[in-house]
Amino acid sequence: MSTQKGLLNQRSVGDKAFDTFNIIFMVIVGVVTLYPFLNVLAISFNDSVDTVRGGISIIPREFTLENYKTIFAYDTLLTGLRNTVIRTVVGTLIGVFTASMLAYTLSRIDFQARKWMSPLFAMTMYFSGGMIPIYMLMRHLGLIGTFEVYLLPALLSVWNVFIVRSYIDGLPLALQESAKLDGANDFVIFWKVILPLCTPVLATIALFIAVGHWNAWFDTYLYNNQKPQFTTLQYELMKVLQSTSTGTNYRDQNAQQAIASVSPESIKMAITIVVTVPILLIYPFLQKYFVKGMTLGAVKS
Amino acid sequence: MKSQASDQSSIAKVSSTKRFFRTMIQQKYLYFMSLPFVIWIIVFSYVPIWGWLMAFQNYRPRNNILNQDWVGFQHFIELFSDERFYLVLRNTLAMSSMGLIVSFTVPVIFALLLNELRQQFFKRTIQTIAYLPHFVSWVVVSGIVTKMLSTDGGAINDLLMNLHLIDEPIQFMAKGEWFWSIVTVADAWKETGWNTIIFLAAMSGIDPELYEASTVDGAGRFRKMWHITLPGIRTTFMVLFILSIGHLISIGFEKQFLLSNPLVNDYAEVLDLYALNYGINLSRYSYGTAIGIFNSVVSIILVFLANFIYKRVTKESVI
Amino acid sequence: MKKVKLGLSLLLVMTMLFLAACGSNNNTGSSNSGSNTNGGEASVEPMTIRLASGDANPQWDNMQSDIGKLIKEKTGITVEQEFPVGGSDADMFALMVASDEYPELVMPKGNVNKLVDAGALIDLRPLLEEHAPNIMKVYGEYIDRLVYSAEDDAIYTLPLDGVGQTYFDAGGGFQIQHQVLEALGYPEIKTVKDYENALKTYLEENPTTEDGQPRIGLSLNGGEWQILISVTNPAFYATGAPDDGEYYVDQDTYEVVMHYQRPEEREYFRWLNHMNDIGLLDKESFVQKYDQYKSKIASGRVLGIIDQDWDYAEAENALKAEGKYEQTYANFPVTLDENYKDASFMGTGYLASYGIGITVDAKDPVRIIKFLDYLASEEGQVLVNWGIEGQHYTVDADGKRVIDPEYQDMKVNDNNTFKKQTGIGNYFMSARYGDGVLDSTGNYYTTNFPDQIIAQYSEADKKTLAAYGKTVYKDFWPSDDEFEERAYGAGWTISFDTASEANVIFQKSQDIMKKYIPQAILAKPADFDKVYDEFMAELDKINVAKMNAEYSELIKKRVEMWSK
Repeated sequence: MSTQKGLLNQRSVGDKAFDTFNIIFMVIVGVVTLYPFLNVLAISFNDSVDTVRGGISIIPREFTLENYKTIFAYDTLLTGLRNTVIRTVVGTLIGVFTASMLAYTLSRIDFQARKWMSPLFAMTMYFSGGMIPIYMLMRHLGLIGTFEVYLLPALLSVWNVFIVRSYIDGLPLALQESAKLDGANDFVIFWKVILPLCTPVLATIALFIAVGHWNAWFDTYLYNNQKPQFTTLQYELMKVLQSTSTGTNYRDQNAQQAIASVSPESIKMAITIVVTVPILLIYPFLQKYFVKGMTLGAVKS
Repeated sequence: MKSQASDQSSIAKVSSTKRFFRTMIQQKYLYFMSLPFVIWIIVFSYVPIWGWLMAFQNYRPRNNILNQDWVGFQHFIELFSDERFYLVLRNTLAMSSMGLIVSFTVPVIFALLLNELRQQFFKRTIQTIAYLPHFVSWVVVSGIVTKMLSTDGGAINDLLMNLHLIDEPIQFMAKGEWFWSIVTVADAWKETGWNTIIFLAAMSGIDPELYEASTVDGAGRFRKMWHITLPGIRTTFMVLFILSIGHLISIGFEKQFLLSNPLVNDYAEVLDLYALNYGINLSRYSYGTAIGIFNSVVSIILVFLANFIYKRVTKESVI
Repeated sequence: MKKVKLGLSLLLVMTMLFLAACGSNNNTGSSNSGSNTNGGEASVEPMTIRLASGDANPQWDNMQSDIGKLIKEKTGITVEQEFPVGGSDADMFALMVASDEYPELVMPKGNVNKLVDAGALIDLRPLLEEHAPNIMKVYGEYIDRLVYSAEDDAIYTLPLDGVGQTYFDAGGGFQIQHQVLEALGYPEIKTVKDYENALKTYLEENPTTEDGQPRIGLSLNGGEWQILISVTNPAFYATGAPDDGEYYVDQDTYEVVMHYQRPEEREYFRWLNHMNDIGLLDKESFVQKYDQYKSKIASGRVLGIIDQDWDYAEAENALKAEGKYEQTYANFPVTLDENYKDASFMGTGYLASYGIGITVDAKDPVRIIKFLDYLASEEGQVLVNWGIEGQHYTVDADGKRVIDPEYQDMKVNDNNTFKKQTGIGNYFMSARYGDGVLDSTGNYYTTNFPDQIIAQYSEADKKTLAAYGKTVYKDFWPSDDEFEERAYGAGWTISFDTASEANVIFQKSQDIMKKYIPQAILAKPADFDKVYDEFMAELDKINVAKMNAEYSELIKKRVEMWSK
């Protein structure tokens, strides 16, 4: 009795020490990773001329709301916001659905086509035909200057397919078998049995896909720069953010003027905040899906 | 006799094709669920491959692809005879290998430690904070890093001097040999929180009964980590790791470019930047495409090689 | 709830695939509406045209400024501008060529040859001769300089630099803080030795600022692309050569070398090496980012810089905003020794460099050229330079134009808002006269003239200039007529044919230069020559001789073309 208790006590002391160190460590991590963000936030609230002096850490030296006012004065921003929200929501739903469905089919070892289908998809992560052929393809498909160009080429992310597949591989086979015995077809098994069990990984890829859509601007630049009604938030902000990083053609007056009147640092920071805060709020929302464990009632029966 | 044997084999052949179609019909739902994507990927990923022809020509945008000057492997030869190519290749592989190792160890450890936190609120908060740097652009992060390592009032030098570890500030950003480490550490700082998400998700998929059972058996937390958690995320880990090997060569150039300066450029320039400078910026589309092909071929070889080794050892396949 | 969501998305997916399969054909045509084809009188029907500009312009006003609205009213044209986004102008035009789709107008800067090779630009000559009398008048005798090359005599772009430009002030040279000059009694600053002594003396007496921050003698903006402006270009200015890009052109034989191959410039870099050796050079010069450089200047600690005013303007403004005028800079044309003359203002004749072009995708080039012609007319030029009479400027009793004081104030203190609100500075899209040219009313076309310039000087500037007996900084420079005009204009406006190997050699030479120059400057003085020799050897290894020879040919051709 006493030895057992002693054992328990010993564990608690070691445990306690570990826990304390862990907490201290996490606090340090928190501080270190929070710093760049607070720095950006501080500068965004700082007067633009004063910002040039540098040396601002996490508190603004000369507080101002000017930077945000300047940004929100761009009315194209609202259109961009609307489009970005739509593409993020729709694109995420589509992306999660497609990735998980394909992941399920590829997880089935008995699937006839698996042997060739899996590498077929996998390889595409490592090559690209290049910008010119892709652009011409979009043109042939009539996707230039449309909203669909944001969704169709991004329909499926092979990377996410493999992530989900690895997760499904970790689920007990018994589950699928029991569903089959109940006479369900493959789609139903996917929909009713597998999907609900994959919430953690689905939440994860939902986050990845959402962030991808939210931050996207290059496709707007390539395909939709003639269509202001399809502009995206990041693209609009990128335009304001233009930094002159040329370095080759600086000798004419226009370039020099551009360099001398570049968007101040503080505005760039305000843009960063405006663009990232909404997407930051998604993760806490998704966190509840990272529920530990799963209901194994189905297996037991 | 002969006819009977050939009859038998033809019967066998017929029934194997029959079996093939029978299985196909049996698995029709699986086909419905996957074939549309096969078509999609052929259209969006495989069709554009015709662009690779450019690498074998002296491509001029004015003309149609078939109406160009064919030069065979000339661009590849030029690429492989350029000293700079080997320099940037070395830099690329060095930084991406270091990055690969770090991004597959640190986030796992971090995830394990996070899991050990009992206070849910604290855990969630730290998780959220930790991934914030992912959203801060490299422009900002590189500015912060440069300032911290500067000799003119930089935090790191100040700290080291105050602790009397050094007498004079060290100009970290001027030392080429340190560049790779600086990039790796900066990347870890920026991306660890984000990379942890997937491992946490995988960990939450582990059956809690396993943990309960092991507690009864008297296992301490480290034992649990080693015998339950790590094996539990092994599949996810290996899939991600092997797939990431394919990205060793094509890692973009933004962070290296932003953190570099003329003094360390020999260590900082990576293949993608080289491709930009000597390819598309000089309107040498063919040369740029040749580099792209090189990247792709190497990436695919690396991935399939890694997968092959994995298959040999574990009998499973990632692809 | 999730099920409903997922079910809906399935439907969406199917619809998407269906649409894609049917080849949904949303119109991809240009946003050109109502283009008239009768080509007679310039119609005022609204038309929108796109302009892709190689220079970013954060103050672009989308025709919403005072001038913008007026232009739209008068010509019916709405200009939508596009800028390089997230990349450089080289990227933007490379992509444009790759996608084979062009906006109506382009300002490609140095990327013209990409566009010409791709057949993207139309020959403007017939249009100019028939529809653009104002433009032709502005270019006058220089019209032949607009021709693309000896082999191709089309006119692809209309240069945007002002014709007949007179420079009234100098924005470059070597900068030194006013307080340093004052403390030393305004000594002569003519040679690098003078400059060095001034910095050294002041630094010894005032090693820190009032709040204990260490002062820095000379800081160079060498960590990013500005290494060209702050480190290497001064080498040729200090040794009597003009700006011909990265080359030095012999004015008699037109033989070419890269300017750092000149022995004189080696000595200049040796001086920088010496500055580093005695601790006057900021050790961070080649490591610091642009932001850090600016914040150093804005802190007032940096005694001397070698830069162009537009590069450090933002930092100086921060100082001015705090009233620290004595910590802002005066500029001097410093040379290696008394024998050299700073050739910043060596004549070029009309440069005819970066311009605006009309592309093959323009549906109504006649209408567009007429629009550009309007901007080039006297009325148009006064509009885009001065603004609207009665609003931005008034005409006094003597017929002189006077900028409204409120706008003048905005122009000096809040230039960004000034540009965006009035639109002045945003519509330089066509041929125009430069500074110093008078219009038919006896006023200057532009708003840069001596009175204006002096009005923009701070008290510190005026005090320093008075101490040296000068009125503007340019007075320190040798007068323009001490030099002969270059028959080929300026070297940096000439580029190689896109397919030429010289482009690759050039890129390599830049990689080499950026590696060795900093190394040479930071090396121990005893090793300087060794490093510089290695630098020269590396250049030879990549065969710059071939590139130099090719460049020499181009220069000779240009001389021939322009001397007709």
